[in-house]
This record gives sequence, C-alpha cells and structure tokens, in this order.
Amino acid sequence: MSVRRPLVLMLIVSLLTVPGLWPVAPPPPAGAQGTEVWIKATGSGARKLNIAIPEFTVTTVSPGADAGTAGKLLASVAGADLTFSGRFSVVAATGAIPVNNPDALRQSWAEFAAAGAHAGVHGLVALRGDRAEVEMRLYDLTDPDHRMIASKKFELPAAQLRRLAHKVADEVALQFTGELGVADTKIAYVSGPVGAKEIVMADYDGAGSVPVTRNGSINLSPVWSPDARSLAFTSFRQGYPDLYRVFPFERRPEQTLAAFVGINSSPSFSPDGKSLAMTLSVTGNPEIHVLNLATGVMRRLTRHAGIDTEPTWSPTGRQLAFVSDRGGAPHVYVMDAEGANVRQITSGGFHTQPRWSPRGDLIAYTQRAGTHDIWIVDVDGSNPRRLTSGGDNQGASWAPNGRHLAFQSSRLGRWQLFAVLFDGSAPTPLTRGQAESTSPSWSPRLP
Amino acid sequence: MLSRCSHVMLALLLVLGVVLVGCAKRPATTQAAAPSPTGAAATTPGATTAAAQPSSGGGPTSSSGTTSGGTTTTPAPTATPTNRPAPSEFAAVADLKDIHFDFDKYDIRPSDAKTLDGNAGWLKSNPNHLVLIEGHCDERGTNEYNLALGERRAKSTMNYLVSQGVQASRITIISYGEERPVCSQKTEECWAKNRRAHFLVKPR
Repeated sequence: MSVRRPLVLMLIVSLLTVPGLWPVAPPPPAGAQGTEVWIKATGSGARKLNIAIPEFTVTTVSPGADAGTAGKLLASVAGADLTFSGRFSVVAATGAIPVNNPDALRQSWAEFAAAGAHAGVHGLVALRGDRAEVEMRLYDLTDPDHRMIASKKFELPAAQLRRLAHKVADEVALQFTGELGVADTKIAYVSGPVGAKEIVMADYDGAGSVPVTRNGSINLSPVWSPDARSLAFTSFRQGYPDLYRVFPFERRPEQTLAAFVGINSSPSFSPDGKSLAMTLSVTGNPEIHVLNLATGVMRRLTRHAGIDTEPTWSPTGRQLAFVSDRGGAPHVYVMDAEGANVRQITSGGFHTQPRWSPRGDLIAYTQRAGTHDIWIVDVDGSNPRRLTSGGDNQGASWAPNGRHLAFQSSRLGRWQLFAVLFDGSAPTPLTRGQAESTSPSWSPRLP
Repeated sequence: MLSRCSHVMLALLLVLGVVLVGCAKRPATTQAAAPSPTGAAATTPGATTAAAQPSSGGGPTSSSGTTSGGTTTTPAPTATPTNRPAPSEFAAVADLKDIHFDFDKYDIRPSDAKTLDGNAGWLKSNPNHLVLIEGHCDERGTNEYNLALGERRAKSTMNYLVSQGVQASRITIISYGEERPVCSQKTEECWAKNRRAHFLVKPR
C-alpha cells in the first residue's frame, strides 16, 4: 500500500503540557521481568501519561475470518482500559498505520508526539480462522527516534477479541508501572429484581455479560475463588439459603458446599483457595465458620449470642474481618484465623459488608446513614473515609490490584455497578443494563 | 545521544503509600473462641464434616466428624435436606397473623407477643399441623446482614411459641432477608410492613 491513510488526532485529554516541568524520576531500576518502572503514581491526583493508540493494523485475514472493525475495536477497548486505570490519558486517532511502512509509522508518531503523546501503542492483528493474534509494540515518543521499548504477542480464540485488547492494556500498564493492569478480569454480580435474582458475569467493564445461574430462584453474594475458576454463592434453589460453587468456564457440575439447617451464606474464599469462610446458623445463631474444601472439615470461629456474619480474609490468610451486632448495632471486627483476639474496627453508626483490600492495608465497608455509602478504614481502625456520594451505594469489591473498587449504586435510578478509585475519585459506570445489577465480585486476574 | 534517563521524564510521581501492611503476626495460641454465652457450645461440634459434593448426587450429606485436634468425636450438624420440609409445601392460614419488628431488632414487642399468643393457641388446637416461620427484613441495611437478621427474627418468634407450649419439633424457620418484601415503596410505613415474621402451615 503506497498511500498512507491520514491519521486524525481526535482528542488529547491531558493535564500535562510541558514535559520539562515534570519532576525527573531517579533512573529506573530494572524490573523483575526486565521491565522499567516509569510510573510510580496512583490515585487521580497524579498527572497522567499521554498514550497514543491508533487503530490496530490488521495484517492477516484468513478466508472466512471477519476483519471488519477489529482494528477499531481493539484500539478503542485498550484505550478505555488505560483511561480507566487512572494512569493514562489516551490520545486517540482514526485510521490505522499501514503495514510495514516505517516512514508512515515515523510520521504518525511525530504527529502524536507533537500533540502531546509520550508513548504510542501500535497493535498488529492477525485473524486466522477461529484464532486471533495481536502483537503489541510500545514506543517512546519522547525519544526523537521513537524507540520501541516493548513488544509482546497474545493469541486467543477469535471470539475473545476484547480480551486481547484487555491483555494489551494490562501489558502497557506493566511496562509503565511495574504491575499488570486489571483489565483482563471479570466481574460476577447479581442481576434481576427482588425475588428473581440470578448470578451473571461480564468483563470488568460490564461488556459481554453471560448467565452463570439460571435456576429461577433467588441467588445472592457471588464471590470468586482465588484461581478465578469458580464462584461460590448463596442460593434458595432448594428452598433454603444454601451455599453452592460453580465453574463458569468449565463443563463441571455445580457443587453444594453447605446445606445445613438455617442460613448458609456469605461465602469468602481464603487467599490460598483451600478454605471457604461462611455464615451458618446451624448452631442456632448466625456464626462464622470455615470449611476446609479438601477434607470437608468445618470449624466454627465465633461464639456469640448476637449476629456474626460477612467474613472477609486478610490477604495473608491469618485474619478475618467480619460483621457483628454484639455492640448493639452492626460493626466491623477483626479476629485471627482461629477465632481468637477479636477486636472492634469500626464503631458508631451501622456498618456492614467489610472487604479486606488485596494489599492488606485497608478494609472497605458499607455505612448506613439514611442511605448507604462505601467507606474505607485502615486495618487498625483509624482514618475512616467515605468514597462514594449520590444515591445509595453498597457492596464494594476490590480489584486485584487494590486500586479500584466495584460497587452497586442507585445514583442513576435502578441499581447499576460502578467503579471508583480507592481515593474516591473517578466514579465510573460499569453496567448500563435494563436489569438491576447488584453485589459485584471482582475476579482475580484471569489465568 | 540520549541516555535512558531522559525517558524517565515520562514518570509520574506522587507515590502512593502502597505499603503492604502485613497483618500483624500473632503468636500461636491455644485459646479457643470465647465460650458461648448461650451455652450452645456444649452441643456444638468444634469441627464437623460438612458436605462438599456435587448436587447431582442428590444433595449434601453429613457424617460424624472428628475435631481437628482429634480429641472428641461429635455428631455433625444435620445437613440433609430431608430434615428440612420444602417451603413450597406450606400454605398460609388466616388464623396465623404476622408479627412485626423495629428496625435492626429481633426482640418480640409486647403488642406482637399478644399476636403470638393467639398464634400459639391456634397451633396447640391444631396439633396435626407443622409450621414454617419466615423471617423478613426491610430493604435498608445490606442483604447478607439482613439474611442473618431475618434468621434471628424467625428464631425469636420460634422461641416465643415454644415458651407458650408449641412443640419445637413442629417448627421450621427460614430467613429471606430483604429478598421477599410485601411492600415495595420506600416509606417507613412500607418498611414496617416488611419487617415481619410470617407463618405458613402444612399437615403433618
């Protein structure tokens, strides 16, 4: 192809204008995988890296494969992922860089650099029958030679094109931050009105939702296992609230985990995936128990006349936070994994839904004060702060990097899922469906 | 010739305290959980074998288990669904009246105790009926906590009926938390209707 298609710069959302004003970081250390860590920033207060993501270039289309809008879709999804991360401002463009045309590539990067971009992602897509391969090439546009600083190939079934874009975005995040992004993750949640709630799952950004349960009963509280292969949840499908486990990516039968007299609810996998904490009232009162998934041995952790429920593990597996009304109203408590050394973390008000951060330093919870809002508190109980406002906000779930939380909000009318950064900034809608969407569980990174 | 350091111009600072606060390591302890003030500990297994099998096998079973310490063998909680009559087999009867609860409470109010006295009288004069007590909550609070709260409401109601002479073996309880409201408006009047214990019966 001899005629270069014009690249039209679409938008530059940038807080940065003069690179020279940026503080100069110390020389980057070589990362564990040879990755240079360039961004040591988080939260929305940080200035962002401007990254150009022109349409991906489709290099190969086998007969029968549909090139269609693949290049546009991949660039758009990867760009949205990087914007969502809070660390990048995306400089978008229409038109793809032609294949094997170094002059055109150089010219494009020069235009992007002039428009303020610091880095550029060039994606090369090969569609071969039912497989799709993407090669990501990352360029430093602050370098006059536009040096390529990383490249990586990903291959998946052609039906998972969006997932390829997520993988590209996560790799870009790794190159600049030293930590994989969280775009290649799923969110499981409850969909449907009161009385007819089913578990569904979707990409973290709400796209591509598929049913997980279809039993016509009431299904609640989905939670991912640490290997991201299974979900535990509460269901009334045998009449009573019992605990089940499903394997949404496999042909594997649903398991009944606990079906004792009384409630069987509030599942939480231990970080090693070997145990499941839960609430049982078989002893006459809601108490926290831990089920060893390999041996079937059930241990009881709490012994109190009040309500004890909603266990959540610390990332070390040595402690659990939970809700108890032993103080007169529900508050968050922490105990060790044997049930001893109980200490109260929150007080005053009405606090439920504790969720221990994967980084270990924070516990998110829901405070009721008329309506509900998501709060976080340091694990020693200090420094509680509110993350949400507007409408009713409940049911936080941490992203695996501990930077984002998903939650349900009524701020736009019916319940929908939103995400927010851990400093309360950048509230972003995740679902926009007709059905009520509640109780999100953000998966670990997919295997 | 540009040094690599020049690329660092891309770097953003504002380093977050991404301090991974390790959970305080606690010394091993032999202290078990606090004794139960209800005295339930005497009959509660410290460790029991739970069911963890595919539902296609016809539901969970449980068997006697040994505590992890190997010191006592205790009967497992009865987990088999056969011990739990299907809620769908029960039907409402006009003589059994709902009772209601204050927000986030599960104690029986004096006026509701009178209602329960009437319900107990009906159950004692109809000894061939089993009763299912449903515990419900309003939509305020969050749903797992409300599942536990509804359980406590059903349990308090059961305990009251037993204290009035209704055989405990005739009573089954279930919590629906906030999942089965009778009134859907966001008003105190409506919420008060939803915070209830509801009664259903079936012949033995």
